[in-house]
Amino acid sequence: MISCRDLTRRFGDFTAVDRLTLEVGKGAICSFLGPNGAGKSTTVKMLTGLLTPSSGEAIVCSHNVATETVAVKRKIGVLPENLGLFDDLTVEEHLLLTGQVYGLPAGAARARIEQLLQVLNLMEGRDRFASACSHGMRKKTAFAMALLPNPEVLILDEPFEAIDPVTSRIMHELLVTAAARGITVFLTSHILSMVERIATQIVIIRAGRMVWNSFAPDLPRSLEELYFELAESPVTQELEWLRSEPS
Amino acid sequence: MAPVRAILGALWTATRRSRKSLLAFSGNNLSHAGFTLLFFHDPGAFILVLVIIGLVVFLPMSGDPLRQVPPERLAIWPLASSERRLLRILSPWLSPVIWMLAALAVWKKLTLGLWAVLAGLFAVGFVIPSIPVGACIHAWRRVPQFPGQLDQLIRKNVREILSTLDFYGGLVVVVPALIFRAKGLLPAQAYFPLTIVVMLTISTYAQCLFGLDGEGGLTRYRLLPLPGWQILAAKDAAFLLITLALTLPLSPIGGLAAALAALAVGHRASITEQRAQVRWRFHSGVTLGDSLLQIVPMIMAAAGAEYAGPLLLAPCLAACAWSTWWFGRVLERKPA
Repeated sequence: MISCRDLTRRFGDFTAVDRLTLEVGKGAICSFLGPNGAGKSTTVKMLTGLLTPSSGEAIVCSHNVATETVAVKRKIGVLPENLGLFDDLTVEEHLLLTGQVYGLPAGAARARIEQLLQVLNLMEGRDRFASACSHGMRKKTAFAMALLPNPEVLILDEPFEAIDPVTSRIMHELLVTAAARGITVFLTSHILSMVERIATQIVIIRAGRMVWNSFAPDLPRSLEELYFELAESPVTQELEWLRSEPS
Repeated sequence: MAPVRAILGALWTATRRSRKSLLAFSGNNLSHAGFTLLFFHDPGAFILVLVIIGLVVFLPMSGDPLRQVPPERLAIWPLASSERRLLRILSPWLSPVIWMLAALAVWKKLTLGLWAVLAGLFAVGFVIPSIPVGACIHAWRRVPQFPGQLDQLIRKNVREILSTLDFYGGLVVVVPALIFRAKGLLPAQAYFPLTIVVMLTISTYAQCLFGLDGEGGLTRYRLLPLPGWQILAAKDAAFLLITLALTLPLSPIGGLAAALAALAVGHRASITEQRAQVRWRFHSGVTLGDSLLQIVPMIMAAAGAEYAGPLLLAPCLAACAWSTWWFGRVLERKPA
């Protein structure tokens, strides 16, 4: 469902993503990991048509993202890094907008919206403007917008970050169910424990280059160990002054 | 004292960095038209008014330097109340606008009128922005629904327009005109000039259609499976609705022609020069050239439609439709 070949993005002299070649099959949950600045969000932007690759190509749902952008957008649901919400629309109006733009029949859209509001615990805040919502509510709204059109592929940039444990569990279950029904999920995250539970495919990127790509059961050791080895290892240095008397 | 010095140092760095965008500010259609008229009428007064209007427009843009520190951060810093007071007194002097005001006060003796101007500027730049506006930001929850898939986008765009001062500036002209007209005191010859004043007040929006969408909104636009012309059409529809509502008691045909011309010209700047706007302020245009490029055809179109007949709306509509389609394509190709 997602296929990248030599996908590259340069910003001047800086290469944010360097010849990324990757296949993600139908119904897979692919976790795309890497330290800050490794190129995860740039890759997500290229896969969703937000950014044009400098070279290489990305095929999503059998459409070339660079040349058939609108066709790709019709088939994917996206949770972008900045959530992509309008300050002047309420939570419910965002979902109504999504239903209208994706051409869902009004009745079906209404029913799905009610269910999503219920499941994601957004009922109380449904009439609240996005600018007045907490970050968690905003993220849940953006997640609901991604799910509402029942897409073939879900592309989620850090879906579990800044989310309460209950919502995190709900989102986890929704994604597992979606994948079981054939929806492909491509997500970035820094929460390795969550990734370990949910992912069927692990990809690690460092400085724009893919350094690991395998199915989750094929990991040679724990994800955390592998990540620290391949992506970045924690710098352990004692801060002497921390133990001294407060000044 | 050291923390205050450190904060002022950081604020100075931030102010210096933002000076480039500050100096790039170009006013809006109303101020440009006002300057031009005044220049021809009384060149002597032009200089002083230029300074004052410039300051009125500048100050909201530069604002209170202390506002560059997030309030939560300022609250948790371990500052004594005397240090906070000192910071409050000294930080405004980091703004070049305050120095300009001080120079003005020295240059022109402080008359009562100038004191009033200073008080007004202080209120606009320092007091009003510090008032929490969370409750009134969305004063316009109830916006009518529209048919079609662009319904929510049009509603959002109408709310955006209603959250800037341009609309209320237009109301200041329209409401008295409506009252005078109801009492039969407004001569018919006044309808058209007043319509032009209203359009000058609200038309800068057409140069910065995406100014209030924020980063998140712009991302969402790019994710929606909509062609660019539809996104622009939702913006246009909201502006035309507001125009119609404001010019209905005056000269709606002239108003619509002016609005279509303003949009036809403004799409380019809206997409290629996207400039963020601030709520509860007047829209700030892109450049003086863009403003003039918009004002002239706007007045010509309005005059044509008003005096030659509503048929002239057709070419205005065609120009706007072409511009919407063309710049919709530009919008689709614009990198994030």
